[in-house]
Amino acid sequence: MISAYYLQIIILAGINIIMAASLNLITGFTGQLSIGHAAFMSIGAYSSALATLALGFPFLPSLLFGAFVAAFFGVLVGVPTLKLKGDYLAIATLGFGEIVRIVFLNLEITGGAVGLRGIPKNTTLLWVIVAVLLTLFVLNRILNSRVGRALIAIREDETAAESMGINTTYFKTLAFGVGAFFAGIGGGLFSHYFRYIHPGSFGFMRSIEHLCMVVLGGLGNMWGSVLGAVALTTIPEFLRASADYRQLFYGAILVIMMRVRPQGLIGERMAGKSFSLGDSILKKLSITKKTGF
Amino acid sequence: MKMNKSYFNVLAVLLLSFVLVFAAAGCTQPGTAPEQEDGANGESAGSVVVKLGTVGPLTGGAATYGTSVRNGVKIAVDEFNDNEEAPGIFLELVSEDSEGDWSKAANAFSKLIDQDKVDVIVGAVLSSETEAGGPIVKSAKVPTISPSSTSTGLTLDNPYLFRNCLSDEVQASQLAEYAVEELGLGKFAILYTNNDYGVALKNAFEETANSLGEVLAVEAFMDNDENFKPQLTSIQQKDPEAIFVAGYYTEAAKIAQQAVEQGLEVQFLGADGFYSPVLVEIGGDTVEGAIFTAGFHSGDESPTVQNFVNTYEELFGEEPDMFAAQAYDAARIVIEAIKSKGTTSEQIREGLAETKDFPGITGNTSIDEEGDTIKDVLILKVTDGVFERIR
Repeated sequence: MISAYYLQIIILAGINIIMAASLNLITGFTGQLSIGHAAFMSIGAYSSALATLALGFPFLPSLLFGAFVAAFFGVLVGVPTLKLKGDYLAIATLGFGEIVRIVFLNLEITGGAVGLRGIPKNTTLLWVIVAVLLTLFVLNRILNSRVGRALIAIREDETAAESMGINTTYFKTLAFGVGAFFAGIGGGLFSHYFRYIHPGSFGFMRSIEHLCMVVLGGLGNMWGSVLGAVALTTIPEFLRASADYRQLFYGAILVIMMRVRPQGLIGERMAGKSFSLGDSILKKLSITKKTGF
Repeated sequence: MKMNKSYFNVLAVLLLSFVLVFAAAGCTQPGTAPEQEDGANGESAGSVVVKLGTVGPLTGGAATYGTSVRNGVKIAVDEFNDNEEAPGIFLELVSEDSEGDWSKAANAFSKLIDQDKVDVIVGAVLSSETEAGGPIVKSAKVPTISPSSTSTGLTLDNPYLFRNCLSDEVQASQLAEYAVEELGLGKFAILYTNNDYGVALKNAFEETANSLGEVLAVEAFMDNDENFKPQLTSIQQKDPEAIFVAGYYTEAAKIAQQAVEQGLEVQFLGADGFYSPVLVEIGGDTVEGAIFTAGFHSGDESPTVQNFVNTYEELFGEEPDMFAAQAYDAARIVIEAIKSKGTTSEQIREGLAETKDFPGITGNTSIDEEGDTIKDVLILKVTDGVFERIR
């Protein structure tokens, strides 16, 4: 028997793996810097919780419902922001994240500022493990297909990718949609685990936490996301022993990690040096076969 | 393809090993636990250690509240141990950080229950944190008393969850009654902060005020807002006699300042969120005369209050706020439960549920059948820069 506390951390680590891996698809592989990933998570969390509570859906359909609603909004954000790049896109996604949080804070049906309570506890370790494996499997298949190559090409040089016949609009939207879909699954697992949700936990800091997991693990490497998510979920718990200095140590660990391994814990497989958006497309494309897992 | 498959296998192994590592770590725990269990149950043994946990934000934006709560509980625990109030029983305090985030508060609750094997918890601080902890303490059967979570219906359907704070409904409706009956006010405007606290206050005040008088305008703002001129302008057009600010002291002080700048001459009303010296520090003359409800008044001359205030100032170098006082009382209520019923979680729960007329520093306190508190509401007024009790 695993104690409830460890079980909770494992489940949270699993949910965070889903979050980091799905964000990695958008940011690490497609090169679209998103700092509003928690918004998709909250959309999934709220829609699946409402599907269970108000519509009486069983767990799996409500999870999928949450995921599809999140994916819908992923596409919705993808479309108008496609022309934006780098910092500008980051700010647009940040704005989106805040809008979603404030909408949930004011909607009557989501319990507003009081939050939504009484969600049945359906998430078990088995569900989380299955969801993690499925997420990684699907993302792996996507990345090792024509679609994955197109996404990486867009990351390396959008203009060059376009000139080679890649429909960048379509693929960028797809990346946002798929990323949001899995974030929605993560959110659904989250709400059905804690049995209570409140917009306060899906703010800017949560999005940054997801981004940290991806960057710490290594942009453009799914293994990195797994490791980054597990590390950033467990480190704060290990640090509970240091009481008041916990956040200090946590911050220091992040700083040291980035100083020692700027490419992340694992980094992109083939790239001996740090990840850069500007590297020539040909150089990267010749070795993309090894990218991904 | 082959390559991918093998990666996938490695991944599965890795995941499994994480599970196993945690499981192994988890298994060591029950090994150490029985000793403590024996200690807690064996009344005949020399001394019994009762573990009391606290959960609250010790870092992040809400850290001042969480720190006050921890400090207040610490004073009560030290008092109990130093005075040997119940010979043979020793209280041990374990404090965990929630960062002000409810999902992290849930981790803190689980950690206290599973790792530290606490018998009782004082916490959490923010309503959302206690909401997230509720299902956890219920299934683990660990009695928990929150010193400050005011959200409506929090303790319903949860025999293990109690609270020791004024409910938002009670203070807002009593304030509205007082404003109409004692102050002779009739036309109100409400400015509320859009969180669970502000919304609950607003709803209760609006209902009572509308039945006794009239609410002319209701405007919202966000925590940490700086500029309230748009809301104040629209309130000014309705020409109310009083503004009820359902929010915390920092914003309340700024609202008062900006209202005076705008030439709005009204009576300011508020709830326990006003209770801090910061209200006067920021607001200065503009908050003079403001009237608000509170659960604690540090200027109270009763020896228990003064004793607490002095000890707190000595230990932590500042005046205790409402959070510290309510946390101190919550811990004292737990101590009374231990003294009257016993040291196991179940006995403490029974004791908490039966709390009646406990003479605390935040007034006489009883706990009703839902785990909610019934206590006196104080009404304070800012007079010459200090809080004066007017009821």
